[in-house]
Amino acid sequence: MVNLHVNSRNVDLDIKPHRTLADVLRTEMGLIGVRVSCSEGECGSCTVLVDGRPCTSCLMLVNQGEGKSIVTIEGIGTPDDLDPVQEAFIEEQGFQCAFCTPGFILTAKAFLAENPNPTHDEVSVAMSGNICRCGAYPYIVRSVMRAAAKLREFA
Amino acid sequence: MRSEFQYRRPASIDEAVAMKADLGTTAMYWAGGTDMVLHWMRSIHSPELCIDITRIEGLRGIEIDRDSIRIGAMTSLDELDRSADRHCLLNTLSDITKLMCTPQTRTIATVGGNLCNASPAADLSPAFVAMNADAVLAGPEGRRRVRMEDFFLGVNKTSLSGGELLEEIRIPLNPDLKVVASYRRIDRTVVDIALVNASSCISVDSDGVINGCGIALGAVAPVILRVSDAETLLLGLSVRELGRDREELQKVEELSAIAAKPISDVRASAEYRRQMVKVMVRRTLQDCAIQLKA
Repeated sequence: MVNLHVNSRNVDLDIKPHRTLADVLRTEMGLIGVRVSCSEGECGSCTVLVDGRPCTSCLMLVNQGEGKSIVTIEGIGTPDDLDPVQEAFIEEQGFQCAFCTPGFILTAKAFLAENPNPTHDEVSVAMSGNICRCGAYPYIVRSVMRAAAKLREFA
Repeated sequence: MRSEFQYRRPASIDEAVAMKADLGTTAMYWAGGTDMVLHWMRSIHSPELCIDITRIEGLRGIEIDRDSIRIGAMTSLDELDRSADRHCLLNTLSDITKLMCTPQTRTIATVGGNLCNASPAADLSPAFVAMNADAVLAGPEGRRRVRMEDFFLGVNKTSLSGGELLEEIRIPLNPDLKVVASYRRIDRTVVDIALVNASSCISVDSDGVINGCGIALGAVAPVILRVSDAETLLLGLSVRELGRDREELQKVEELSAIAAKPISDVRASAEYRRQMVKVMVRRTLQDCAIQLKA
């Protein structure tokens, strides 16, 4: 039995321990906003927040998520009540096919919590662990800058 | 087919060591898992028991006292990155972590895991060797200290034996000396491993005379190489000479290139690697000189 705290919800899962966190979030909990692409911790698609820090969930065992607060893209906003970072990505069109977008948004969210007023270069470095095969990078950087401005306004 | 395994999370070092002693080779210590998950997926390792040691309090954290810096083996690369302003050697190590994997993998990857994976191209390993660090190993028979350059025995091979685990890294400090370190590598892009790397660590006394020197090379042999004969040449020199074109510096470069035993592979030729060893060593020494002037 594994107990996870995901998106402010506690769940007990009767599963075997030799599973990755990304796999369990997707297949046992239906949180398919967790995208699995490279499965090697290089692409950042599977990024989730663990105690507020971005982590590649494809490299974590599910048990390593126990006792920690896990947040996926499903946990930060709803279609009617988007997170400011999600709004900024829509407004700046920070995606093309959008497969990688949940990972980018969660990485951006953790980054902006620590650095609310970043430069373009700081954003590029902070986003360097996420790969966008459509190559929407200039739009993504603009989205994160816009999100930063929005969050400063709310603060 | 990847193996099915049980999972345990011991609360202390002793408990972890006892678990491993009980089950032997079918049980494996598991740290951040950023290498282990890949090894397990590819069936390079097929554990029956995963002993997750990441939450053992005694294996975490960075402490600095008069005589040493202690880095717990389960300190994450992200935590090491954030320790930059606590000591200038930690500042150097922090800069190195920024070259490693990606930000969201550095939050789970650990210093100890990186060392125990024993990649010849690992980024932290040459720096610890140059800094004269010791590895502290805990096992069923108690603790022992191993010099960092003796910790690596080959590609993915360490001197850990009989159920031992890496507890911490100890970097010695001398309160009477000023110490700096630097690291350089050749890579093609981000999220890359080094084609060649090198690290230097220099201690100087209050007159600016070099009193201690460590030079280590990576990715040019199955293990991290320490170039002791080159280090000796720099002792007694004034740090002001480090940036200049002195005979000793050329000799240090040559001895480093001779020590290197590189191979040719898809990524670079042996000859290129040997040539770059000279450049890397020179630049690390120049970087040390710049830090000492500041």
